[in-house]
Amino acid sequence: MNMSGDVRYYDVRHVKGQTTHIDIDNRVIESAGTSFFSTAVIRVLGPSGWGILTIDNYTSPEGKKFELLLKSAASLAHITTEPVTLADAPHGVLAVPPMKEDPRSVSLEEKTGILGEIESSARLPGIVNTRATYIERAEQVSFVDSSANEYSFEICRSGFNIMAVASREGIVQMGYERLHSIHGLNIRHQQKMGRLAGERALSLIDAKAAAGGTMDAILDPELAGVFAHEAVGHASEGDLVHEGNSVLSGKIGERIGSSLITIVDDPSLDEFGFDPVDAEGVRVGRTKIIDRGIIGSYLHNRETLASVGQGDAGHARAMPGEPPLVRMSNTFIEEGDSTLDEMLEGINRGIILYGSRGGQVDPGRGVFQFNAEYGFLIEKGEQKGMVRDVSLSGEILSTLHSIEMCGKERKMSQGYCGKGGQSVPVSDGAPYIMLRNAVVGGSGTE
Amino acid sequence: MRWWVAVAQNETISTDELSGLVDTIIRAGELLVEEIEVYIAGGESVSAELKKTKIGVATGSKSLGLGIRTIDHGRIGSSGTNDPLAWRKCLDAAVSSGTLATPQEWGGLPGPAGQEQPLLSFDPEVRVEAGIAEEAINEMLKGAAEFPVQVMSGSSDLSTGFLHLANSNGICYSTKKSMVSVSLEAISDQSTGYEFDQSVRMSVDPENVGKKAAFFAHHNRSGADIKTGNYLLVLSPMAMAQLLGNVFIPAVNGRNVHAGRSKLAQSLGQEVADTSISIYDDPFRIFGPGSTWWDAEGVPTRHIDIIKDGILNEFLYDLKSGYRYGKQSTGSALRSGYGGLPGIGYHNLVFDGPRCNIWDEPAIYVHDVVGAHTANPMSGDFSVEISNPSWIENGTFGKPIRKAMYAGNVFDLLKEIDGIAKGERIIGSMVLPEVRLGGQRIIGT
Repeated sequence: MNMSGDVRYYDVRHVKGQTTHIDIDNRVIESAGTSFFSTAVIRVLGPSGWGILTIDNYTSPEGKKFELLLKSAASLAHITTEPVTLADAPHGVLAVPPMKEDPRSVSLEEKTGILGEIESSARLPGIVNTRATYIERAEQVSFVDSSANEYSFEICRSGFNIMAVASREGIVQMGYERLHSIHGLNIRHQQKMGRLAGERALSLIDAKAAAGGTMDAILDPELAGVFAHEAVGHASEGDLVHEGNSVLSGKIGERIGSSLITIVDDPSLDEFGFDPVDAEGVRVGRTKIIDRGIIGSYLHNRETLASVGQGDAGHARAMPGEPPLVRMSNTFIEEGDSTLDEMLEGINRGIILYGSRGGQVDPGRGVFQFNAEYGFLIEKGEQKGMVRDVSLSGEILSTLHSIEMCGKERKMSQGYCGKGGQSVPVSDGAPYIMLRNAVVGGSGTE
Repeated sequence: MRWWVAVAQNETISTDELSGLVDTIIRAGELLVEEIEVYIAGGESVSAELKKTKIGVATGSKSLGLGIRTIDHGRIGSSGTNDPLAWRKCLDAAVSSGTLATPQEWGGLPGPAGQEQPLLSFDPEVRVEAGIAEEAINEMLKGAAEFPVQVMSGSSDLSTGFLHLANSNGICYSTKKSMVSVSLEAISDQSTGYEFDQSVRMSVDPENVGKKAAFFAHHNRSGADIKTGNYLLVLSPMAMAQLLGNVFIPAVNGRNVHAGRSKLAQSLGQEVADTSISIYDDPFRIFGPGSTWWDAEGVPTRHIDIIKDGILNEFLYDLKSGYRYGKQSTGSALRSGYGGLPGIGYHNLVFDGPRCNIWDEPAIYVHDVVGAHTANPMSGDFSVEISNPSWIENGTFGKPIRKAMYAGNVFDLLKEIDGIAKGERIIGSMVLPEVRLGGQRIIGT
């Protein structure tokens, strides 16, 4: 391909595939079916910035037709004024881990039956609604750029969510469990997850609303993982750092937290956020964002590596048909050496929080918020009454200093992360961590 | 029909091929199932994105998707594809999906109703051109320059789209949509400010958006701490939209109501809000973002009083939940894209009541909230971080507050309305005023 002076670089990322979805709501199979997609993003780097085309039903045109598309993208780039350059970064593709059982080899009928068993196992006495959903997404990704880098791979993600709702005397509460994987069909023999959701909903009926205030808090591995993701991960994304939208901007080499804390993002890890190569064809690997309390690296794509520096490219990710953004993948706090008992012993009055209903961050202001599924009050080192609807908010820079203990065993949880209107699969994880003087939110009073 | 023109701009398929496609799919489907519905959505858009004060990215998009729904002996199947020429595979997938679905009471897809109506949510003045997006960006920057702040990011989007809905009972509807939106985010020290505007027409005010984002970033620079306690709060339309959208809307969805997932399930006819409050769906609002004469399955839309003078009056139903629970569809079926089954939603949700001056006494202003999606949709409980918390003093913005968490319950706050401001703004497909609430819980530092 001959490139005109208006085109310094181009790449094409074409994703096609199919999505299978099953929804069972109170025994009723509401839907069980498959949809198909094929969509592409063509990016052209013009004299200044990017011109991007997103095209549904892309048919990989060649010759003149392809040149016309490049021209069309290049003409969009004419309105850009930001001088964009791309850093060199190593290319390469990892093998996609093999699946134990390819979900596509199991009939929709059989999968619906298995999901129905999970759904019915949540239906305990006192439960008024159970709903199970299964999602399976197979993507065939192909990439080519103007430097003759080319790759293609196929990946299939699948998993399920189970929700149970309990209701008594006007109080309605829910329990929720989920499990998603890149390692193949994961819905067999999971009835225990249904029971867990049912039991949680029932116990939350009797839980009290948490009283907000400042107190010591222990976060379970799932919530501590969300903390790493919301409080640190987003603020380390190179595009936000470049825009000045991060409190971590200009802080490389500075101590921003307790020396117990090391936070890593690693898309090469065989977890739900795995990518064999990033969305710009760059090799993926481990980036240590915080190393024993000191900020070490930002997460980058090629553009932000060139403009900001101090970190690694290989963190560009995209939903099918969307332009790549700097994103997290598998983000976690590394293990420490404390036990949960030691953490509890150190708290006179506090709270232990379990599970996550998600979170959000304002990275420029440096304020985050996330919500636990449930918790228990701690009095003199012992777990007491259950509390519901409890959240935690804080300022990134002060909260990282208040981490006083870090547990021995890390656990990863799967989810989806939203940014710029795009949702990508991620995993977060951590061991138990203990925070001093955390701001805990809840609508209850003492 | 005008919508074919938009389809023809996608170069992978010709106008002639598409013009007969819908009929062909319906004829093929009728041989396999009792009823079939075909939904085609597409459009084009252009956007410009700011990186600090310069445009870094300009994006053009062309989208097209085909959705098929089949009904046979009460079994509902569906599939979707964005390759309309692969419709046969899509039809087969829809039919096969229907064989697995649990059969339910079904009284048929609707037939045609009434004359062709004028477009409600489309302005032919909206042109999808990069130069117009660029102009809006420059106006926003001009507005932002009124305060000493740094612009972090911003965007300007223009889009037009078409929808076509046809079924085996003779419905063949088409409509067009347009949308213009602008947003800007600025920072001063560690104080961030975000603002946006959207409209079906070329009526957004980019300069004002830039100015307001910059104002909030500048205003909140040196906030003071606040003590935990109960306060009078003024929620902006943006904050209201987040709390209502995450909790109240799911609770009036007919399917959730009958499935045991709504706290309001037993409250029909009861007082669930301050008696001055009405919340209704107005699908016929001129230039409303969600305005439409028919819903996503061809049922004529209508005005729905969800809450009237504080009394819970009506829940929202689509055909499926209506037939299942012995209710009439309220014309509330919506699709978020071409694939999957339609769900239940609102077209233009309006929050209304007697208006007054709510800036006449000291209160905490809530510009936006962080984390509303973590609210408990069953109980309504939430605890969120406030963006740009500030005191209202002497009828204007007073001292800023550094950090404040707001904990409450969405169902309770509907009863704690202390006043509704004059004016309103459109947030997504909601039409909302500023609202003042008494005795709200703030967790300070």
